[in-house]
Amino acid sequence: MLPVLSMLILVPLIFAVITFFTKTKEQARTTALTGSVISLVLALYMYMNFDSSIASLQFVEISKWVPSLGITYSVGVDGVSMPLILLNAIVIPFLIIYSWNEENPYPNRFFGLILAMQGAVIGVFAALDFFLFYVFWELTLIPLYFMVSQWGGPNKDFAAIKFFIYTHVASLVMLLGIFALYFTAWSQTGSPTFNIQELLTQFQSFEAPLVKDAIFIALLFGFIVKIPTFPFHSWLPDAYTESPIAGNVLFILLKIGGYGLFRIMLPILPFTGTPNLMISIMAVLGTASIIYGAFVALSQRDFKRMIAFASVSHMGFVVLGSAGLVSLSVSGAMFQQFSHGLILSVMFMSVGVIQTNAGTRIINQLGGLSKKMPKLALIMVVVFMASLGLPGLTGFVAEFLVLTSSYVNLPGYVLAVMIGIVITAAYHLWAMQRSMFGVYNEKLGDVKDLTNYQSLSMAVISLLVIYFGLNPNPVLDMMITNSEHIVSLLSVAGV
Amino acid sequence: MNGITLFAPELTVVATALVVLLIGLFLNTESKKVLGYLASAGLFASLVLTLMNLDANAVMYSGTLTVDALSQFFKIVFLIVALLVSVASIKYTENNEHVEEYFTLVLLAVVGMMMVASSNDLLVLFISFELASISTYALAGFERRNLKSLESAMKYFIIGALSSALMLFGISFVYGLAGTTNIPEIAQNSAMLVSSPLGIVSIVLLVAGFGFKIALVPFHMWAPDTYEGSPSVVSSLLAAGSKKMGFVAAFKVFMIALVALKTELTMAFAILSVITMTLGNVIALSQNSVKRMLAYSSVAQAGYISMAFVVMSPMAITGGLFYILSHGFMKAGAFLVTAVVGYMILSENREAENVDHLENFKGLAKRMPISAFSMMIFVFALAGIPLTAGYMSKFVLFSSTIEAGLVWLAVIAILNSAISLYYYARVVKYMYFYPAEGERVSEPLPYALTLIAAVVGVLILGFWPEPFIQWAMEAANVLIAT
Repeated sequence: MLPVLSMLILVPLIFAVITFFTKTKEQARTTALTGSVISLVLALYMYMNFDSSIASLQFVEISKWVPSLGITYSVGVDGVSMPLILLNAIVIPFLIIYSWNEENPYPNRFFGLILAMQGAVIGVFAALDFFLFYVFWELTLIPLYFMVSQWGGPNKDFAAIKFFIYTHVASLVMLLGIFALYFTAWSQTGSPTFNIQELLTQFQSFEAPLVKDAIFIALLFGFIVKIPTFPFHSWLPDAYTESPIAGNVLFILLKIGGYGLFRIMLPILPFTGTPNLMISIMAVLGTASIIYGAFVALSQRDFKRMIAFASVSHMGFVVLGSAGLVSLSVSGAMFQQFSHGLILSVMFMSVGVIQTNAGTRIINQLGGLSKKMPKLALIMVVVFMASLGLPGLTGFVAEFLVLTSSYVNLPGYVLAVMIGIVITAAYHLWAMQRSMFGVYNEKLGDVKDLTNYQSLSMAVISLLVIYFGLNPNPVLDMMITNSEHIVSLLSVAGV
Repeated sequence: MNGITLFAPELTVVATALVVLLIGLFLNTESKKVLGYLASAGLFASLVLTLMNLDANAVMYSGTLTVDALSQFFKIVFLIVALLVSVASIKYTENNEHVEEYFTLVLLAVVGMMMVASSNDLLVLFISFELASISTYALAGFERRNLKSLESAMKYFIIGALSSALMLFGISFVYGLAGTTNIPEIAQNSAMLVSSPLGIVSIVLLVAGFGFKIALVPFHMWAPDTYEGSPSVVSSLLAAGSKKMGFVAAFKVFMIALVALKTELTMAFAILSVITMTLGNVIALSQNSVKRMLAYSSVAQAGYISMAFVVMSPMAITGGLFYILSHGFMKAGAFLVTAVVGYMILSENREAENVDHLENFKGLAKRMPISAFSMMIFVFALAGIPLTAGYMSKFVLFSSTIEAGLVWLAVIAILNSAISLYYYARVVKYMYFYPAEGERVSEPLPYALTLIAAVVGVLILGFWPEPFIQWAMEAANVLIAT
């Protein structure tokens, strides 16, 4: 059988290299689109042949790499990673279409970085070996760093460096955790391995509770900075505000932090020395992010910064849902990642259009844009409603699952989150009202609506938001299968 | 009888050196180019001969010399670096009337390094050390009309002489206490060393002596000036070759001969390596001369490698050795790029000064794509970006500190590695994202070849490290077993 998964990682990377060497904008964008469409086809092929009813890994490929250190090249997908791979494969081609006609001094590098990012992110989702996982994890930093520092706003250098150093240091803490896990398991079994499943199983029989807790916290730190949750989110507003729109979408697709929670944290959580403490830490962080993100978003003047904090708020649901430790809350958290990726991509694209066509993204300086930009207004209404959690759209499915099921174990936190939900509705509606509706602000002059390329890409993703909102099963089924498997470990640990 | 075959690599290099010197007398300046090819061929032959005897294991000449996995490992590192430097020098020495002296000195320096790797006796070690040192003093001042080069040579010479004196002094104490200069015999008589306070004195002196060559803080002051002022090809030899000679000497003396004083050593090296890596990285942040930046980065890398002396586990030494091998490619390559850039700037303007200033790297991707790409790979490798040699070596070395329970050391090393990314990424930014200020220049063939060879080395070590890690493990076993 074809190594589909490896191809899915390699195709974007190879096309990224080809795109770097193209000479004209025309060549660059066509090559990039070709690469991303091939990835999409591969991802759809995998999705078609994916069995959602079993929790085990599929499309597994294993080959030796550095046997003396126990490093292998092994990739595979399950219900945790498949939807995220699909999300990346779907959004990237439309991102390229969205950026089709943008002014750009270095189109070859721009599109090349997008594809490089895609390859690296899919690599993280597919990796079954900690070494490989970490390699891809770090590779995702490079395209984003250059994206922000080259195509970013006025304060780009600061934002890029801050993002880079902040998340890099967090990854290094995670690396320490990986080393500790690796060596403790090595001394236990007598043979080295970096295999994720193997190490997570070994973790269960580690003896010292302190070592287990230290490993857990080190790994958790790497993930929650990447997600990010309050109070480790401070790189995000700067990076998101300064980044170009394509960079924003890439940031949004960078779901590796949340993925780490499901793949690595939850399976070992019940076996830590103090599971209840760990659950509380996660629940507090998640709840605080939801509420804090919502309040700060409410007070933002800059549209993009508002969405950045909305993102912090949304990702809080991922952490809270994981901490809920009920199969449906965990699948809700997984679905939130998927849904957030779709919704926020379109929200950022919308702000990008407003920025270029109206010349500003300060919310108070806009007003009545729907009169001049009816197409944009329609799409924005859909995604904003989805983002605030209107039933029938993806955001609702995710947040409903997280809140109702987390209530079983974490009732107090869920009640606290309710405040956040009210605020969430408020800032979304208020921002829409001030920018899109009401009296048209004549100072803006004659504002154009979406181009065809922009409408196409934004409309398709918005339709997916509606489709998965009405019928989440195509991805939710596999998430439930896997979250049931994860939660079943709880009874093994007797927590 | 075995001796001659096993020492064929060294003898080949010596013979080449003499032949180059002799032939040079009879050639006019134009045709001296052939000497570079001859020297490179000699080094290549020596490399092949070393590779043929990879599994050799012998002690010879009244126990003064040894050939084992460790010595072969280092010899190959030295020969690879020397080969890269010598091929690149073909272009550098073009139209120079002193070509034969240049290549003879390079070859003799390499012989010195190789003999250090094989020495089994402190006196042989010292003499070989001096052979390599004296040759490189002269090489550092090879551009005798360039004040900076002369200054660097002078500084290097004075400090080098001081360090040799300290080292000899330390050796004399060891001899006085142990009654022998033979390394394994010292290890057997270690009781004398441990019981006497002079044992500590000898360690301090030896650490200082080797520390100068390795450029450990606080013995590093000469390195930035010398690396900056010397011709770039020579800096490459110094940073990638001569520094490793300090390491192999330190490995032999500290891990075999003085292993009884392990506890004292561990603490001393822990402090030295932490200070060295931190100071090197912090000062490198503010450098605008690329060579100076590389010099400080080289100081920092010496700090990382010294962690092997702190942990002293098989994994740590494997990591240290693997790091030394990777560093040979990365550092030699990076300095060679500065040589190419210097060539580019000087070919436009004979009188240009500070040719290695960061400004001159602006838009290098447009002007010299091969050099820019190679430089990107080298600095990313030095920074430890995944899938390069630098990442693999940091991975093994840093993880070994966790294995030994020295989490604080790993944390410091990892934070240092994060800091270093900043100044490495800055070079890439200058090369790729600033507009070019000049015409496209095509790299001369010798430079292009060496750069590509070094890039291939860095990538192979990064992508497929297995055989090299195995090999480093075998070399590490030589140190552990005794």
